[in-house]
Amino acid sequence: MRTDLKEIYLPLKARVVEIVDMTADVKLFRVMPEDAFNYKPGQFIMVSLWGVGEVPISITSTYGIHEYVELCIKRVGHVTSAIHCLKSGDIIGIRGPFGNGFTIGKTKGKDILFIAGGIGIAPLRSLINGVLQTTPPFNSSLDKGIPPLNSPLNKGGRRGVLQLIYGSRNPSDVLFNDELNTWQKKGMHIILTVDKKDTAWKGNTGIVTKHLNKLRVTVKNAHAFVCGPHVMIDAVMRDLSSMGMHEDNIITTLEAHMKCGIGKCGHCYAGGKYICTDGPVFSYGEIKRYNLKWP
Amino acid sequence: MKKDMILEKSNLSYWLRQLRKEMLLIGPMHGENGDIVLKTVENIHEIVLDCPALIPSPKEFLFPQKEEMFGFSTEGTKNYRNSKRRLIFGVRSCDVSAIGLLDRFYGGKFIDDYYTARRENTVFISVGCNKPDPTCFCNGLGTGPFLSSGFDIQFSDLGDRYLVEIGSEHGLSIVKKFSHLFSKPQKSDYDDQYEAILSSHAMFEKRINLENARQKILSGSVEDSFWAGVAERCFECGGCVYECPLCTCFNVIDRKYSAIEGVRLRNWDTCMFRGFTKMAVNVWPAEKKIMRTKRWYFHKLLYYPEQFGRFGCVGCGRCTITCPGRIDMATIAYRLKVGNNED
Ligand SMILES: Cc1cc2nc3c(=O)[nH]c(=O)nc-3n(C[C@H](O)[C@H](O)[C@H](O)COP(=O)(O)OP(=O)(O)OC[C@H]3O[C@@H](n4cnc5c(N)ncnc54)[C@H](O)[C@@H]3O)c2cc1C
Ligand code: SF4
Ligand code: SF4
Ligand code: FES
Repeated sequence: MRTDLKEIYLPLKARVVEIVDMTADVKLFRVMPEDAFNYKPGQFIMVSLWGVGEVPISITSTYGIHEYVELCIKRVGHVTSAIHCLKSGDIIGIRGPFGNGFTIGKTKGKDILFIAGGIGIAPLRSLINGVLQTTPPFNSSLDKGIPPLNSPLNKGGRRGVLQLIYGSRNPSDVLFNDELNTWQKKGMHIILTVDKKDTAWKGNTGIVTKHLNKLRVTVKNAHAFVCGPHVMIDAVMRDLSSMGMHEDNIITTLEAHMKCGIGKCGHCYAGGKYICTDGPVFSYGEIKRYNLKWP
Repeated sequence: MKKDMILEKSNLSYWLRQLRKEMLLIGPMHGENGDIVLKTVENIHEIVLDCPALIPSPKEFLFPQKEEMFGFSTEGTKNYRNSKRRLIFGVRSCDVSAIGLLDRFYGGKFIDDYYTARRENTVFISVGCNKPDPTCFCNGLGTGPFLSSGFDIQFSDLGDRYLVEIGSEHGLSIVKKFSHLFSKPQKSDYDDQYEAILSSHAMFEKRINLENARQKILSGSVEDSFWAGVAERCFECGGCVYECPLCTCFNVIDRKYSAIEGVRLRNWDTCMFRGFTKMAVNVWPAEKKIMRTKRWYFHKLLYYPEQFGRFGCVGCGRCTITCPGRIDMATIAYRLKVGNNED
């Protein structure tokens, strides 16, 4: 009998180091895995609570920048509610990182548009911090992970325009406020918008697609990374495509019910692809080609 | 590897009895309700040698309907991986073909260690089918009634003796020590096997061509109304998926025994169930039944060939026996061919 079989379903222990209340139903968890691992933006891990269950969660931190693995989790049901009851010092289980992650080598010298809706900012944050840290020219070796600050990959070169359109339900739902400021200082154009404004809100309102007429990026040449609820993703992809952006340059992460993360349980299977292993990052072109939105 | 031998039928039970000392012996036996099922053999003479295709399929022994994966407690986790040595006797060629595909599915970049641990400790002896059932259609798929490779050990029933073909190291491992029970095959043995194969092929009642069905779907000429008709007849019982030797979907569940102790287990799930793709806050990619029935067929007829170069069906006919809506693989392939969905 082989003894080298990896225990791929057995989670690794990780300690919750810090918990930040972000909004009424979103918390940021900083966790320290028992054994460190490398990951890239757009990848996810399976988070386990013994006796409760296991759910897929994007890694919102950036390897090489953040000390801990950071998870930004919205309370929506059984497992995420239990996760929200954790206290720092508690032990959770994690498996991963899984998924293909974002490929950013191709965006070298190009404009990049990020569009986030709600919790969709979580996977994008990992990418944005990576992109902002690595001054181009981007190199395809970036796709193996973001290099540390002092890496020669980070020297000089022209970067295209970076723009973020980020939509939230209410002003109180806006996540990573501090970081938004930092990003802006680093030269990113940011449009914040909310569905329902309150008296204090002076900014934009309405869904993200309403603001696609304010683009600073050159649509024909730009790459877009879009994360958020299904309906938003569909609308944004369609609009960007009709505005002339190349379908293969419109990138998103698809969500699916996931039970294993490794292409075995079948729950995420659509159009002949496993969202968990072939994705979760796909281009609009691929989504249409493979009919990933179910037949 | 391939090595052939002859085993006199009178030596079979002795051999099995010896093997049972080293490993669990599983074979076709009469179940409680009169049907024949694979189960642990207590009395070797009770093995049913000449039986129709077994429902359920042997996938149960590699991917159990319910499998405890690991336990958890304050002490940490404890893996329950099962690597008991087993000999499963009397499975059919279609099942062996299915297991060959399962090996590839559970392997790959992420090796499913629960499946693999069981598989690597299980030897299968299949018996070529001299008498196919009326529901069988492996003949058109190359997955039966006899195989030329891909098995651990294949028996061909030649009346008073078996032609024993050894197709893997696994297979060889249970024959080696007992070479005195086996003899060298003669040309006449191969002639007899050839006869058996020919006569078996002549007995098939069904001629199903899945490649035609695949081409028809790929041509784009199958309207959604066809699949709507299929979906209308589906009871969402999941029988097709549970009995299919190639359906592999599972769910993962935690069960607590106490506040601090429990087990994570997986159990068979089916893409035919409504909740299979449901996500939180009511996002529901395949809420409509037509999406689910269509997907089952697309997976087996289009995506499987893309991924593995083989259909996701070995023609065992179990879904034909099981499906109360008569929308089993053989029926749908036939209806795709004739282009209508009427009885
Ligand atoms: C690749 C990926 C990355 C994700 N990243 C994040 C993230 O960074 N932050 C975040 O808050 N959420 C994220 N999600 C969504 C998160 O996984 C779900 O909100 C969570 O699974 C809901 O589980 P629950 O038990 O709380 O909800 P319930 O509704 O009680 O769910 C019951 C079961 O359904 C399944 N399920 C329900 N909703 C989803 C869903 N949306 N996706 C997958 N399976 C689901 C789960 O298996 C769960 O056990 C991500 C989902 C995917 C697929
Ligand atoms: S066996 Fe038939 S009725 Fe039952 S789920 Fe499968 S297709 Fe539907
Ligand atoms: S689809 Fe039906 S006939 Fe084909 S392998 Fe599965 S159960 Fe057997
Ligand atoms: S999550 Fe199990 S197959 Fe993708």
